[in-house]
Amino acid sequence: MRIAVLSGKGGTGKTFISVNLAYVIKNAAYLDCDVEEPNGDLYFKGDKIVKQVDVDIPVIDHDACTLCGKCADFCRFNALAIIIDKVRVFSSLCHSCGGCKLVCPVSAITEVKKSIGTIKETEFEGHRVIGGEMNIKEETGVKIIDEIIEISKDILEDVVIDCPPGNGCSVMGSIKNADYCLLVAEPTIFGLHNLKMVYELTQVFEKKVGIVINKASQHKIINDFAESENIEVLLEVPFDKELGLINSNGEIAAKDMKYKHFFEKLADKLLVRKV
Amino acid sequence: MIIVIPTKTSGEKSFISENFGRANYFYVYDTQKQIGETYINEHLDNPHGVGIKTAEFVLKHKADIIISPRIGEKSMELLRGNVKVFIPNDSIVKENIKDFLDGNLKELI
Repeated sequence: MRIAVLSGKGGTGKTFISVNLAYVIKNAAYLDCDVEEPNGDLYFKGDKIVKQVDVDIPVIDHDACTLCGKCADFCRFNALAIIIDKVRVFSSLCHSCGGCKLVCPVSAITEVKKSIGTIKETEFEGHRVIGGEMNIKEETGVKIIDEIIEISKDILEDVVIDCPPGNGCSVMGSIKNADYCLLVAEPTIFGLHNLKMVYELTQVFEKKVGIVINKASQHKIINDFAESENIEVLLEVPFDKELGLINSNGEIAAKDMKYKHFFEKLADKLLVRKV
Repeated sequence: MIIVIPTKTSGEKSFISENFGRANYFYVYDTQKQIGETYINEHLDNPHGVGIKTAEFVLKHKADIIISPRIGEKSMELLRGNVKVFIPNDSIVKENIKDFLDGNLKELI
């Protein structure tokens, strides 16, 4: 089973839940798709095999270019602009779709490779750990995520995918071949608002979903929402200072008998769904 | 001289937008002809690169001056050397143009 762990809001506990969930499932792989701020390797420590990730970026032949503007009009990410007498390329905004090259009537556009980040792999107590990291100053890490997902296609064991926050392109890339989406939320108004956003996204992709409430308190707004939308709340992790401390020290909480049962319960509930 | 001003609503009585690339409208004023025109920001809904498109718009109109409280890094990179940016007062467009022409606005560095 491939379980994607999402949350609209950052800092809700995606990495906390994914790391511990992967740890309690035998031989489960852990994919860190939060390439803008990968944290999974703080828990799954070990030597890593590093691989570069390249994208294709347009280069303009200014002698051939007629400044017709078709490429800049075509680019929905605004990575190209006609500035006075030249087409300028903003490579950090480019999504490498190759569309500008296709629409150029005078073939003035070619492509060059540019490194946007790396993929690191390691083995941790029987768990395969694959994570991406985007280079500083880049604006999109979708290609890195696509490559992580591609590499993970051969994995026969269960897979836990630690997704980026939000509901943008990078999240869509992370969940595209997931069987199940686990939505992590905290019981605040902001937490609920962003849970709704990410829930909407999973519905567009017609994914099965369940909710984990992290930092659970007496505020039941997430439970109320789950009830109204008929979504199961699989686990509530209480607001616990000691748990927070273990986690912020880069320790896997599920190694501690006191907390292990939370994640085992979650894993049981999820893996039952496989049959 | 051509002045471009990002605005909240249309026309010379509008207040100035806090954002440059994400302004609702742009007011383009020709000081020689003493005529101003309002343009709707066509790229407002784009998730990325609105500053680039706005810089393209400014240069297409051959503007010399922008009156805006702030401007993004990418826009500035494209406009530097061609356009000067001035900090507006907190009044409407018309008052800002008058203040600029009287030399009462400070340049944004």
